[in-house]
Amino acid sequence: MELLIQLFLGFLGIYTVIGVLFALYFFFKGAFALDPLIEESKWTVRLLLIPGAIGLWPLLLFKIINKSRTSL
Amino acid sequence: MGLDYQTVLWNSHKKKYDLWIAIGVFLYLLTFIGITILTNPETTAETLIIRAFGTLAIALLHIVLLIGPLSRLNSRFLPLLYNRRHLGVSMFLAALIHGAFSIIQFHTLGNTNAFYALFTSNLEYDSLTNFPFQVLGFFALIILFLMAATSHDFWLKNLSPKIWKGLHMMVYVAYAFVLLHVFLGALQQQPSLWSISILSIGFIVIASLHLKAALQESKIDKQTAIKVEDGWEFVCTVDEIPEDRAKIFIVQKERIAIFKYENKLSAISNVCKHQGGPLGEGKVIDGCVTCPWHGYQYLPANGQSPPPFTEKIATYRLKKIANEIYVHPEGLAEGTAIEPIAL
Repeated sequence: MELLIQLFLGFLGIYTVIGVLFALYFFFKGAFALDPLIEESKWTVRLLLIPGAIGLWPLLLFKIINKSRTSL
Repeated sequence: MGLDYQTVLWNSHKKKYDLWIAIGVFLYLLTFIGITILTNPETTAETLIIRAFGTLAIALLHIVLLIGPLSRLNSRFLPLLYNRRHLGVSMFLAALIHGAFSIIQFHTLGNTNAFYALFTSNLEYDSLTNFPFQVLGFFALIILFLMAATSHDFWLKNLSPKIWKGLHMMVYVAYAFVLLHVFLGALQQQPSLWSISILSIGFIVIASLHLKAALQESKIDKQTAIKVEDGWEFVCTVDEIPEDRAKIFIVQKERIAIFKYENKLSAISNVCKHQGGPLGEGKVIDGCVTCPWHGYQYLPANGQSPPPFTEKIATYRLKKIANEIYVHPEGLAEGTAIEPIAL
């Protein structure tokens, strides 16, 4: 059980670290790539999106990649 | 609705509701802390904070869960829906304070990592009564975090309404974790008949209201056409629809709302593009159908949001024979203009 807990917490830690790095990218660039309306919005809106970007980074990454592919 | 995103969509109502939330939270904390100090003066400050914010989060979670069915059963509760989002975020913040102080007080005093200690301080995962209840609270907090973090309109649009709604329906899983967290905690630490009774009553009230609202909704869904004439379904008489309001009907398994306004009748989809709000429970304000949930607006004759907004919903053809209203069950493409029926 302890090994399982270690694995789970290790996964959670890595997931969160990548999430934080992704959130920085999302704040400066990713949010614009996903939704053009962000350009018209204040920077505080993007600040508010940071926790969501940390929590849902795989989904957002997938959506951004998908969007860039379809716009090619 | 808008051409850009706002950090918070403030209006006078929202400010008023938020003020009430702040006053309510303050009074609750003050009362809880006052009673605890009077009845149990040896309680430490950390324990007081953990208990005060934990019970506050549970109380707010119950209110959040009650607002949905209450506003379906009685339209007087609809304004509460406008502010449910802020209430939900407040509830998460209270739960976060409870969780953070619990981890600090119970798991940071040793040499092991606090989160590792949280998961391993009690390893009776195969026990029903001694199951590590703090772990359940941790998972509930993760769900509540994801919900609070995605409560902005940006997420609703960009995650898609289906994913967003699915994520936010996880509140029921979080609620189940919270119930088990409290029941097991109460059983394992200080058996308290009081907290178990309050929580049981809360669960019964939430479950009953959800059931009642679901039964009411299913009655609407089971409506069948009374009379059909050349493919047109009779729905009601003109007098049955109040001025500047609508009646909701089911045609081809879709909910439609027939609005009466300015001596005219128009039929549109009942589902708002924003969060799927029930447009038929809204009003016609300044010539626009206004969603009761968040104020999104549509022109009744073409289902389009007034320029420069771009949201569109399906429209339905109507005809009137004497005083009877008939609807063609086949919806037209979103935003299709239909000449309203003159009364």
